[in-house]
Amino acid sequence: MLSIKTKSSKKRAPGTRRRFLLPVTFLLLSFLLMILPLEGFVSSVKAVLAYVFIPQVRLAHGTTKYAENVYETVRELLDAHRENRELKQEIEMTKLLASQAEAILDENGRLSEILNLKAARRWKGVWAKVAYREPTQWNTVIIDKGLKDGIRERSAVISMEEGKEALAGVVVETTENTSKVLLVRDEDFSAAVYLERGQEEGLLTGNGPRPVRIKYIPLLTQVEKGDKVFTAATSSIFPAGILVGEVSGVREDESFQTALTVNVEPQVRSAAVKEVFVISDDGGGR
Amino acid sequence: MWSFVKLVFLFVLATVFHWAFASGFSLWGMGVNMMLVFAVAFCAVLKPVCGYPAAFVCGLFLDFFGTKLFGNNAFTFTVAACVVYGLSERFDFDGIFPQMLTVFGLTFLVGALNSVLIWWFASAVVWPGLWSLLGGAVVSALLAPGVFWLVRRTLGKGAVCRQV
Repeated sequence: MLSIKTKSSKKRAPGTRRRFLLPVTFLLLSFLLMILPLEGFVSSVKAVLAYVFIPQVRLAHGTTKYAENVYETVRELLDAHRENRELKQEIEMTKLLASQAEAILDENGRLSEILNLKAARRWKGVWAKVAYREPTQWNTVIIDKGLKDGIRERSAVISMEEGKEALAGVVVETTENTSKVLLVRDEDFSAAVYLERGQEEGLLTGNGPRPVRIKYIPLLTQVEKGDKVFTAATSSIFPAGILVGEVSGVREDESFQTALTVNVEPQVRSAAVKEVFVISDDGGGR
Repeated sequence: MWSFVKLVFLFVLATVFHWAFASGFSLWGMGVNMMLVFAVAFCAVLKPVCGYPAAFVCGLFLDFFGTKLFGNNAFTFTVAACVVYGLSERFDFDGIFPQMLTVFGLTFLVGALNSVLIWWFASAVVWPGLWSLLGGAVVSALLAPGVFWLVRRTLGKGAVCRQV
């Protein structure tokens, strides 16, 4: 047993020496480097090491810089991803709005078509332009369509102002290519009308430069300013339901009156009549 | 030969890690010494015939950047290698706790020894401060298991490695 121990200790001895030899060598070498002046031998060693270490230093520095940039790049990528997601949502929303707009556009087209058809169904006629206006008679105009275009005397004439169609007058004379229209304000103009509120009927007559009047409205009728006035179905000339104008006031200066006289402001001003629609057939509405 | 190439690769990797961590943690005033962690890991895995030169070269790499003294890091790293080989008789470096404890202690030792050497040989005071040393030691200790795993994984059971 003892011999074995001795044997093993003998065997260990060179290894143990080597074990101590290595660190002692490196410690001495490093000690030598420390005690030597930085110039001369040490600077030569440094120069040699520069060839060995500089590539690694560059690599290390480059990698660190790259790693720093990776953080920035990742952040930018994340930002871009978030932005991309938001923009996609925005695009989806825009697409949705576009499809809604398209649907609205279609609906608008359909409604416009329906309105046009409705107008055509209610009143058949021809569009004409005011060709001439009597200088002394502002309430009479001559239009550029006549008998050849199907216009007959006593045809109702409507016009547009502020986007609303309303009664403009009546055809009183026709020639082959022209027609004379008596406008609502003319003293010779008259039409059976009714008030929107209460449905009471009366006779509307022009009054020159003064307000258009409605006569024969029952005394107890409630009339207020702004009430709308339409042509009545009892009229022999005008189709029912054409807007004439709005009530502007009630005349109360007549004593012993048996009916109300209501002032009306026509929807279409005489000066504003430029294009007119002459009704040749009211579609059986009259 | 292949083991030597892998060792060189690990050394290059160590320089990169050292550069990155030393630069990064210096912003918080912590002196993280990744080269020491790698040197300790080399010594824990490699035979002394390879471990000592590896530790010495690691120290020499740090000396390359020194201005006041040359060789102090090589010296302290060799001392650290001696400590690791001395502790390997008692410690099992496969465990995380011995790895962290060793790195933590050696970071303090190397830091203090470097300061003493520079003060002695170059008459300059380069004490980094307790917080710097302590913070660096803690971070180095936390990183040690990863470095040990990497070194062991890369070198495996090659001819240069110790047979435990």
